[in-house]
Amino acid sequence: MVDDDPLEARAIARVQQGDAEAYDYLVGKYLRRVVSIAWGVVRNAHDAEDLAQEAFVKAYESIGRFRGGEPFGPWIYRIVTNKALDVLKHRTKFRHEELEATEPAARRDDAELPALSSEIGRRIDSALDELPDMQRLVARLHLVEQFDHAEIAAMTGLSDGTVRSHLSLARKKLKERLADLYGDPS
Amino acid sequence: MSDDDKFFERLRADAGKLRYQPDEVTLARIRARIHDRLEHQNAKPGVLELLAAWFRPLAATLTAIAIAAAIGVNSIDTTDTTVLDPAVEISMAGDTYSVGH
Repeated sequence: MVDDDPLEARAIARVQQGDAEAYDYLVGKYLRRVVSIAWGVVRNAHDAEDLAQEAFVKAYESIGRFRGGEPFGPWIYRIVTNKALDVLKHRTKFRHEELEATEPAARRDDAELPALSSEIGRRIDSALDELPDMQRLVARLHLVEQFDHAEIAAMTGLSDGTVRSHLSLARKKLKERLADLYGDPS
Repeated sequence: MSDDDKFFERLRADAGKLRYQPDEVTLARIRARIHDRLEHQNAKPGVLELLAAWFRPLAATLTAIAIAAAIGVNSIDTTDTTVLDPAVEISMAGDTYSVGH
């Protein structure tokens, strides 16, 4: 992957030389997508904001190791995906402890997504949510965020084959659950 | 294109609408927070802070030496008092006189 945005390449070079103001360009260009990716994993606006902030700060701190000529997007997407997965792992662990004592706290924030007001949106979201963790992550990145296999592999650290395998399993389950919605003849 | 592929294409088109879209206020708030964090990180110490950083360990060392010296002097004083305590005896013309207390 080669960076085809000269402004982005220039901004990265300037940040690497110590010009912090140049980082604004990268934040402005990728922030919306980074928040969306984080939200897709953690399903909570507050956590997604925190994760986006942490991801950009971490990327800034490590920008010296960033190779020139590469696009910034996949790198920051990978950082935020890893951070979001860490939050998810922590929550799962915490929820196990919580269940022993009391009811788990509500984590989802569906009201933040206008598309869920439609029946189709609700059904797809619910079907995605029922998938096992990694299938859900890969399916969301492919279907909702519209990334291709190679991009998902780069973001998650999984091999291309593993991404395809997760997606294939997810696809079968989604087809079963949404058959009536899409008029599956079988 | 197979039925399976068609299903997946339609699903992908509908699922794309589920992408979370943060509003402009939220984006501005996050940008400001990132900016603050980076500014805080990049803040370079001024001359006074640099001098304070240099003098702080020096002052701590001098204080430690002063405390150790004060304790030492006090201990010597106490010892000296016990040494001088016994009375002094003076012999003169076969008689011994005791001077002290």
